[in-house]
Amino acid sequence: MKKTTFTQRTIIALVLALALVIFPFIVSSPVTRNLMILIFLYAGLAQAWNIVGGFAGQVSLGNAIFFAAGGYTSTVLLQHATVSPWLGAIAGALLAMILALIVGWPVFRLGGHYFAIATIAIGEIALALMANWEAVGGARGLTIPFVRDGSGRPGDTWFWFQFNQNKLPYYFIALALMIILAGLTAWLDRNKPGFYFRAIKNDQDAARSLGVNVLRYKLLAFVLSAAFTALLGTFYAQYLLFIDPESMLALRLSILIALIAILGGVGTVWGPILGSFVLIPVGELSRAHLGGSGRAVDLIIYGALIVLISVFQPAGLMGLGRRLRGR
Amino acid sequence: MALLEIQGLTKTFGGLTAIDDLSFRVEEGEILGLIGPNGAGKTTVFNCVSGFYEPTRGRLHFAGHDITGWAPHRICRLDMARTFQIVRTFSDLSVLENVMVGAFSRTGNRAQAERAARHVLGLTGLAAKAGVRGGSLTIADKKRLEMARALATKPRLLMLDEVMAGLNPTERQAAVELVRQVRAEGITILMVEHVMEVIMPISDRIVVLNYGRKIAEGRPETIARDDQVIAAYLGKKYRSRR
Amino acid sequence: METLLQAIASGVLIGLVYALISVGLSLIFGLMEIVNFAHGEFLMLAMFASFWFHLLWGLDPLVSLPLVAILLGLVGLVTNRLVIAQIIRAPMLAQIFATFGLGLFLRSLAQFLWTPDFRLIQNPWLSRLFGGRVEIVSGVFVGVPQVAAALLAAVAFAALYLFITRTKTGLALQAVAEDKETAALMGINSQRMFDLGWVLGSACVGIAGAALASFYYIYPEVGGTFALIAYVVVALGGFGSVPGALVAGLVVGLVEILSPVMLGIAPSLKYAVVFTVYLLVVLIRPQGLMGRF
Repeated sequence: MKKTTFTQRTIIALVLALALVIFPFIVSSPVTRNLMILIFLYAGLAQAWNIVGGFAGQVSLGNAIFFAAGGYTSTVLLQHATVSPWLGAIAGALLAMILALIVGWPVFRLGGHYFAIATIAIGEIALALMANWEAVGGARGLTIPFVRDGSGRPGDTWFWFQFNQNKLPYYFIALALMIILAGLTAWLDRNKPGFYFRAIKNDQDAARSLGVNVLRYKLLAFVLSAAFTALLGTFYAQYLLFIDPESMLALRLSILIALIAILGGVGTVWGPILGSFVLIPVGELSRAHLGGSGRAVDLIIYGALIVLISVFQPAGLMGLGRRLRGR
Repeated sequence: MALLEIQGLTKTFGGLTAIDDLSFRVEEGEILGLIGPNGAGKTTVFNCVSGFYEPTRGRLHFAGHDITGWAPHRICRLDMARTFQIVRTFSDLSVLENVMVGAFSRTGNRAQAERAARHVLGLTGLAAKAGVRGGSLTIADKKRLEMARALATKPRLLMLDEVMAGLNPTERQAAVELVRQVRAEGITILMVEHVMEVIMPISDRIVVLNYGRKIAEGRPETIARDDQVIAAYLGKKYRSRR
Repeated sequence: METLLQAIASGVLIGLVYALISVGLSLIFGLMEIVNFAHGEFLMLAMFASFWFHLLWGLDPLVSLPLVAILLGLVGLVTNRLVIAQIIRAPMLAQIFATFGLGLFLRSLAQFLWTPDFRLIQNPWLSRLFGGRVEIVSGVFVGVPQVAAALLAAVAFAALYLFITRTKTGLALQAVAEDKETAALMGINSQRMFDLGWVLGSACVGIAGAALASFYYIYPEVGGTFALIAYVVVALGGFGSVPGALVAGLVVGLVEILSPVMLGIAPSLKYAVVFTVYLLVVLIRPQGLMGRF
């Protein structure tokens, strides 16, 4: 079986990217557009998680805190200091990176299960704190007011990162983020940091004996993951114009992010993207047709999927693809 | 000055003294064999020297630096490399990628690392298996890979922990050849071994441990005749061969 | 002062229950190095079992307790055979997610079948005993169901401890946890010990759930918080340590109940305090208070 070369894969990627750029001009239904935006968003979140969880093998089940760091920072800066969300996004990413260092530095010394539980605990602490912190909206959350145009209608503005009439820019921004993350992941995959991440995942001590500063690289993975997750958090805030602790910090979100990466194939470049393209439509469809009354059918499917993947195909869809191609 | 100098090394675990006041040197360019009965503390010495354990007492000097208590990755950067008794291949990475991890300790450039890795693969006879997944190799190849990986870090001192264990005679011969080749490249070797037929002929000098203490040191011929050593472990069988 | 004593009493009582819930988790980890992330859902199933036994057949939770324990033991066994056995050699990611997925599946299924509504068992026998409350010290009242739960937990715990340390099977269990290969050389079948570990651990959760059902609200998400607390208790006490689970359970129970009283914070933040304590302990002493790993 012929293994696709790097050049071949790059070409395929470019073609697909082009297709996605053209797509909204062919299919202009708002429902589809919204679905695609969600797919890109979650693909991005999963790719960011993949850096620390898939490549470096550190299972974080608390990445939602970075999502919230991004969304809340830009929103609070917008509301209290009238700062453009673009700058707020950078501030959010910086905050997330600092958080990652503070959290990671002590906690990365712990082994796998301990680390996972610690990230859950931190996520829950964050959720409880934010729900009680009235100054940033508490449990009720924060609403971003519409920026209105001359005639008083909610308008489109790049400066304030809102597109209420023509939502197309949201699509392209989300797509751009997804592509940037894909590029970053591909670069990591081929270069020293990626090699070191995978070495750490396979055997930490052996990596040490080969000169790898394990803590430093774990932190690097975590910080990269945090920064991009935060940027996506700002995007989310500006897209929905409403954030609250439940939607940004729930454990369920951290699980979903990891699940997408796992379904698609951890530690691969395409995995998280593939996972998002499969899981998000499935989730939305099942929620629309079956889950309406709060009966959580989509979660039943997620739960069963997670078990089945873990048991039968831990390498995810990418692994399945490899198997079918005979490698 | 000796490349590696161990002074008064002592390592205790709770109530157990694994190494007791051990001192010896490894001179640049030689092959030093470290032998002793099971549980004599040989791997513990390795772990102390390579930074995985912190010595309870004593000092370690390498290439002019006092490395007592240093972290493993820092020691590697000083040009010391080691293999592990139970092979620790990076299973998900290919043979080439495994060695590249080692090569990356010398360069940040991917192309350079790949070239260096391929060179080492050629030296160690693994070039044909470059694309094979690390986890699917035979034990003999995994040991070879572990040596290749360590060699890619361009060490001055290479510490081998029982590389011969689990190999059949043909594989063993190949491994011995490899060790000789490595030394020919100018790399100093410190070997822990159980297989007497291998380590006696190949070593320039031998240090014998028993219960964490050095009981003899010298050239292989001298050691083989040392009464204490024989009593400790070579046993009647070897003695009767004289 | 009375409030403090009241809080301490409540803390100890709930702490014992936490200990019982967590010991199964610890046992399983000690044996197989696998964390059962569906543990909270096992508890939830036990509580719902008590509820349905009561609603459908009028059985008092105290009476149906043995049934629930057996039922949960079976659930544990089936889980081990069907799911765990497949992932025992899988990478850690797969192991974590397999049980996590199972938990999510069970929780969502419960929500689908029984709705997210909160249920309560009306007038269980224990709530009528002694008028439902006892005064242990002047001014300090505790509910009879709560005391009963704590007593049941203590007894079950003691029984488990005696079993593990005094019986041949129990020692075999310890042997497998200590060193699987050597235990095999002694003729101990580790497969069977794994089964036993799951059965015992899940039965403990069953007892705890049945005990809680007498006074706690029952709903599909109830396992969530208890599960997090269980992880914290196990990590705090030391993965694999049965006595550690007891000590840690009490510590967590006390911290949880005392923190609003002593720190003057909102009750909704008490779990944040618990988790913070967990993080502090685990960073200072990664193997927990009494752990070996």
